[in-house]
Amino acid sequence: MFGLNRGRLLVATAVIATSGLTLSAMPAQALSPHLEVGVSSTEIKLGVTLPMTGTASPGYNKVPSAMKAYFDYVNANGGVNGKKVTLIVKDDQYVPTLAVAKTNELILKDKVLALLAPLGTANNKAVAAAVNPGRRGVPVLFVNTGYSGFANKKLFPTTFSLLPSYIVEAKIMAQYLKENYSDKKIGLLYQDDDFGDDALAGFKQAGLNFAVKVPYASGSQGVAGVPATWITKLSAGGAEVVVLFGVSSATGAALATAAGMKFAPKWVLGSVGGDATTIKALGVPAGVLYNATGASFLPATTDTTDEYIKLFQDINTTYNKGAVFDNNVLVGMNTAFVTVQALKAAGPNITRKSLITAIEKKGATFASAGLTPLNFSATSHVGYAGYWFGTYGPTGDLKPNGGTYTMYTTDSAAGAVVKSTYSRPAMPAKGLPN
Amino acid sequence: MHKIKSTNFTRLLFFIVLGVGLFLLGNRVDELRVYQGATLAMYVIAISSIILLTGYSGQVSLGHGAMLAIGGYAAALAHEHLGLPIWICFSIAVLAAAAAGAVLGTAAARLSGPYLAGTTLALAVGLPSIANQFPILGGEQGLLFDVGAPPARLGADFTQYKWYFWIAALAALIAIWWLQNILRSRYGRMWRAVRGNEVAAELAGIHIGKSKTLAFTVSSGLAGLAGGVLAMTISTVSPSAFPLSLSFSLLTGAVLAGVSTLSGVIIGALTLVATPEIADAISRRLGNSENVTTNLPGLLVSALLILVVLLVPNGPVEQWRKFRARSLHEVTHR
Repeated sequence: MFGLNRGRLLVATAVIATSGLTLSAMPAQALSPHLEVGVSSTEIKLGVTLPMTGTASPGYNKVPSAMKAYFDYVNANGGVNGKKVTLIVKDDQYVPTLAVAKTNELILKDKVLALLAPLGTANNKAVAAAVNPGRRGVPVLFVNTGYSGFANKKLFPTTFSLLPSYIVEAKIMAQYLKENYSDKKIGLLYQDDDFGDDALAGFKQAGLNFAVKVPYASGSQGVAGVPATWITKLSAGGAEVVVLFGVSSATGAALATAAGMKFAPKWVLGSVGGDATTIKALGVPAGVLYNATGASFLPATTDTTDEYIKLFQDINTTYNKGAVFDNNVLVGMNTAFVTVQALKAAGPNITRKSLITAIEKKGATFASAGLTPLNFSATSHVGYAGYWFGTYGPTGDLKPNGGTYTMYTTDSAAGAVVKSTYSRPAMPAKGLPN
Repeated sequence: MHKIKSTNFTRLLFFIVLGVGLFLLGNRVDELRVYQGATLAMYVIAISSIILLTGYSGQVSLGHGAMLAIGGYAAALAHEHLGLPIWICFSIAVLAAAAAGAVLGTAAARLSGPYLAGTTLALAVGLPSIANQFPILGGEQGLLFDVGAPPARLGADFTQYKWYFWIAALAALIAIWWLQNILRSRYGRMWRAVRGNEVAAELAGIHIGKSKTLAFTVSSGLAGLAGGVLAMTISTVSPSAFPLSLSFSLLTGAVLAGVSTLSGVIIGALTLVATPEIADAISRRLGNSENVTTNLPGLLVSALLILVVLLVPNGPVEQWRKFRARSLHEVTHR
């Protein structure tokens, strides 16, 4: 086996030597000393990991092409400080271990300047621990998760979030439920990890008690028979109002299964899984969604009176092959819109450090489609903090209750839920940052 | 051919030289290669545990991923709840997986062929989902296993992945050195005797059941170490880190390595690490379609497996030996 003779020793040495050569033949890409990693004289490279395939992918897999579409629009109009923005997309299938491997590729192999909108609470936590972008100084712009923990600057020094936290969402939703359904038994379906725990913390903070709570394991929505057990539990618990606080595929599975089992409570959908287009694509008839309650922090996707929606729809037609304009496309474009301002604010000699400083210093003044202000500062890496509630119409489109966006805002701590008085400034001309 | 006498000392020396070689290599390559090196070391340990089980003791396991999972979770729990130093966590990973292996091995000794394969397969399918039943195991999201930053005295430029690589490479060297020693001992001979012919081995006074159980235990312990190393490189343990495909990959790696000899183990490990890279390069040329990117690595490994079974059923190393022996024979008899 490991008996040594000269021949074998030679072979062993040869193997070690060749592998050594092969490995060292691919040295770190030599970059010009003046330019930051991921930046060349003509290009700024960003990277995203998210589920493009797999159980949790429906809906979210539309986000990258929407971000790319806006970047293409900007690139066609002179780029950012003369550089074009490119986005490298990696599929992590919503699996934390894959997210770690793919993020490694983005940072070490593709050498991106920053990560942009990586999706998922568990995935981002795993990446933070394993790849540790914070220690490497790699900016993680606008994580696509509302987990409140990422606001901790000490633990995640380079991470910024755009979405309101799940605690904020749950607190505002709790107030809405108490105002409208105080006499009803309320049920909850939530994901059995930090995503769901964050929501639970918010509901608890607001003092909302559920008659029945059903946790589901991430991915189990794709297992035959599992969604039926959720509905059985919710129905057995006598829930008259059911909050679905999960990913799109879980929300879709719950609605479709409930329809099949003739269980028809009043549905209240969280923002994460509340995109009507995605839910309908998962086989839920629009009628099931009709009259359900939903929440958002951006204008309604069908609201063409909104200048941002109008612009994004135009860009979608020209640069995104006319994909169905849903909430995922809207979130993607809005994220890219804020990102371009951050890149621009970081200056022509952009570095990872100057990018972070730019958001801390000027982030609060960035334009965006959001209906609450962006709260970026040296002490806060959190963007929005508010929601409006709406009702799904007969075709499944979410429209604000009472015809106007009534925004409620709060914080991730003990602060009260209050009506927002914010009025959004006008969009920069042509939707290009100036 | 002149033979260097293979003694315990020369073998130890070989491993020390190999260690120094790896140390020098680790300083020369960039961080991505260092990270892949750590993964390579993990595969080396995991594949050698399969070679021990299948090649030396003649038992088949389709579910070694489950043993990796036990090791990974044991290490993470020991680290998170007891705050033990990393090398003790790895020892606990070995012991926990070995204990599970002993239990399973007792049952396995009574099974053979497809029944054993089925049992181990069921374990790989079922075991990771246990994590969803007990909150202490962290559900689908799993547990963090953060071994911490490299010691400050190694310098500010010493990267996290180089630190993982050092730990993983050291673990692999110690594991393989120890394994090849045990395979040369009476236990190794005992296992081979049982694999060769159970009746003959029994006549020679070997207790078949005990021998098989012991092989299963040792193999599981090694797999547990691999699980601990895997958990370290990704800083987390979760059911998704130990999918069924991991078990199959390891088995494939073992077949590529040549299942009956330990010396090909690096070939199997290299193939498993290189496949996603090659697949990535190919899918880029094919235009980065999601379907291609997702499915190509599996397709490549499967195709390679079929080719190896067809062309070099005993593995490339064994084939090379045969080829050399034949040409040597021709030279001396010319």
